[in-house]
Amino acid sequence: MQWLTLYKKECLESARNFKWIWVPLVFILLCITDPLSTYYLPLILESTGGLPEGAVIEIPTPLPFEVFMMSISQLNLLGILVIALITMGTISGERKDGVAELILVKPVSYFSYITAKWTAYMTLILSSTFIGFLASWYYIELLFGDLSFTNILLTFLFFGIWLMFVVSISIFMNTSSKLPGIVLFLTLGTLIAMNLGTTIFSTYLEWSPSKIVSYLPVLLNNGYVPEDLWFSSFGAAILSALFIFGATLLLKRREMV
Amino acid sequence: MLLTQTVIQTIEENLPVLLPLFIIQLLLMITALVSLIRATSTRGPKWMWIIIILFLNTIGPIVYFIIGRRDDL
Repeated sequence: MQWLTLYKKECLESARNFKWIWVPLVFILLCITDPLSTYYLPLILESTGGLPEGAVIEIPTPLPFEVFMMSISQLNLLGILVIALITMGTISGERKDGVAELILVKPVSYFSYITAKWTAYMTLILSSTFIGFLASWYYIELLFGDLSFTNILLTFLFFGIWLMFVVSISIFMNTSSKLPGIVLFLTLGTLIAMNLGTTIFSTYLEWSPSKIVSYLPVLLNNGYVPEDLWFSSFGAAILSALFIFGATLLLKRREMV
Repeated sequence: MLLTQTVIQTIEENLPVLLPLFIIQLLLMITALVSLIRATSTRGPKWMWIIIILFLNTIGPIVYFIIGRRDDL
C-alpha cells in the first residue's frame, strides 16, 4: 500500500511536469522522422537541386524491417539521451532539495522508495516507446510495405529490457551524487564505456546488454529469437536487478551519515 | 519561384501523410507554451523561452521542458 502511494506520487509528479505529454510526443517524432525522410529522400534531393542535369541516382527502397530498425536506432540514441535527461534529477534532485529526507523520515523503506521511482519511470518510458513503435509501424505500412505486428511486439519486449537496463543505471547513479549533471554524465559515461568494451571484446561478450539492439533485426525480419538475444536480455535483467539493489544500499549508507 | 511552387504542390499532395507530423509538432509547442504560462518561475526570462519555443521547431519545446522548467514544489 505504501509502495503504491509512492508510485502514485511519482506518476502525479510526471503528469504535473507535463512529462506524460511531451515524452510520448518526442518519442513519436523520433520514430517517424526516419521513415518519412527515407521515403521523401528522392523528392528532397530533386527539389533542392545541386545535381547536374541528367544525373541519375538510384536509391534502393529499404525493406520495411530496415526502416523500422532506423526508428529503433533513433530511439537508441536520442531516446536514451531523453531518458537520461528526465531521470537525472529524480533522486539526486530530491536529496539536494531535502524532499528525500521528508519522505524517508517517515517509515518508508529505501527499497520501496527506489523501486517506486523506477516503476513510475518505466511505465512512462515503455508507454512512450510503445506509442512511438505504433506510429513508426503505421508509417511503414503506409509507405513501405507489410511488417508483422507480432514481430514488432516481440521487438518491443526485448528493446524494453534494454531500456529497463538504462533506467536502472540512471537510478543507481542518482544515489551516488546529489548533482543531476554528474548523474547524467555518469549514466551516459557508463553506457558509452559498455558499448566500447562490448565492441572491443565482441567475441567474449555475446551476452552483453549493449548487444541487444544489434540482435533485433533478425527478430524483426524472421520473428525468430536468436539464442544470443536471450542471453543478453538475461544479462541485462540481472545487471538491472543488481543496480537497483546497489542503489538501495548506497542510498541507505548516504542517508545514514 | 518554380521551385517553391513545386514544393508547395508536393506538400499539398502528401498532406495526409505529413499532417500527423505537423499536428504532433503543434501539440508539443502548445504544451510547452501552456506549461510556460503556468510556471511561476523559469530559468531565464519568459519572453526568451516564448521565442525559443515558437521559432525553434521541435527542439525548442524539448529544450524548454528539459532545462527551462524549474520544478515548483
